[in-house]
Amino acid sequence: MRWTEQVVVFLVTGIIGIAANVIGYHHPIMDAAIGYAILLVITLLGILVTHIMPLKLPMVFWISLLAIFVASPLSPVASFVTKYVENVDFLALCTLILAYAGLSVGKDLEMFKKMSWKIIVVALVVYTGTFVFATIIAQSMLHVEGII
Amino acid sequence: MNVLKNWKLHVLALILVVICEMIGTHKVTIGPGVLLFLPMLYAMIIGGFISWPKLKLVKLEHMNHASAVLSILTLLLVTKLGTVIGPSVGKLLSSGLALSVQELGHFLGTVIVGLPLAIFLGMGREAVGATFSIDREPNIAIIAEKYGLDSPEGRGVMSVYICGTVFGAVWVGLIAGCMAALQIFHPYALAMGAGVGSGSMMAAATGAITAVFPDHKNEILMYAGASNLLTTIIGIYFCLFISLPVTNYLYKVLTPIIGRRQEKGGATK
Repeated sequence: MRWTEQVVVFLVTGIIGIAANVIGYHHPIMDAAIGYAILLVITLLGILVTHIMPLKLPMVFWISLLAIFVASPLSPVASFVTKYVENVDFLALCTLILAYAGLSVGKDLEMFKKMSWKIIVVALVVYTGTFVFATIIAQSMLHVEGII
Repeated sequence: MNVLKNWKLHVLALILVVICEMIGTHKVTIGPGVLLFLPMLYAMIIGGFISWPKLKLVKLEHMNHASAVLSILTLLLVTKLGTVIGPSVGKLLSSGLALSVQELGHFLGTVIVGLPLAIFLGMGREAVGATFSIDREPNIAIIAEKYGLDSPEGRGVMSVYICGTVFGAVWVGLIAGCMAALQIFHPYALAMGAGVGSGSMMAAATGAITAVFPDHKNEILMYAGASNLLTTIIGIYFCLFISLPVTNYLYKVLTPIIGRRQEKGGATK
């Protein structure tokens, strides 16, 4: 997707995201809009950094690093950023993202219908396995470290 | 520009999101657990129905655009999680050991239960592709490069990928909600578990956990975000150098023991 198109997509979906925040989580519309704008600027800067950096690392790495830094105690704008970004609820973003995920599912349904029940069971177990095993190990490690 | 050409899709998304948020979160108690129904799950399921090819409401072109939009929107989620981690990055580092070690669960959890089951159900080399990882895009690339996508391994990875696209988020969200409601595990541990390395699955799991433990919301987002970041970044290398060889080795060891093909192998029909 081209750079300009990415920006337009973020702006269009931003309207939907802000609507979700106002309806579902009762955040003031202006605060949610400013919060969304901040997230958007950080994300775009992160994408830019990924393209500039000679070291090839996934986009999520640079975006995370930038977002963590901007909101960390080291950042001069941290309090401003966190104050507004709080008005963009995590769950509202999830609704937005999964709505698009749902709307794209149709293209995979033909192939999905052809699958045997066996592979579907295996897939369910694969997803359960990764979540459950990591949780069990995390639980014991957090205990060992005395954090919980 | 594709966005403008696909304006109908975005209008549909807006209507969908507004309706789902108006319905809101609902809990259904079943035995010791709770089934959580979050707006994002309705959005995924209703969206899936709307895109059903027979209804002809959403064109293939729209669906491809939706999936492109989806992949850049997950970046926004990454940013949001980063801003939650930022203020308490010190606290996160203090649990760095737990965070690193639990990644083993993410990488090997798919193989430990998935592989024996797949072999038991009679799968051949498909089992390796299907269970060596959670089979998202980076993992497909690994299999494509090693075996090609026309191979049995390639079919395995693609099948689980499609299952993941169709119901992965809904399933992981329900599992996470049930596990959280059991009150056996600490919300931090569940949060780390939620970082499975796929944006939409992580979102669904994290959402369900925060709904059960609203008081720990920020910590849950922080640990889930950090764990998901680790899984995504280390994942490519771990799957290539450790998960895949381990899965191949276990496949060789387990197939003669529990594989059905092997039983039939001796007796020619």
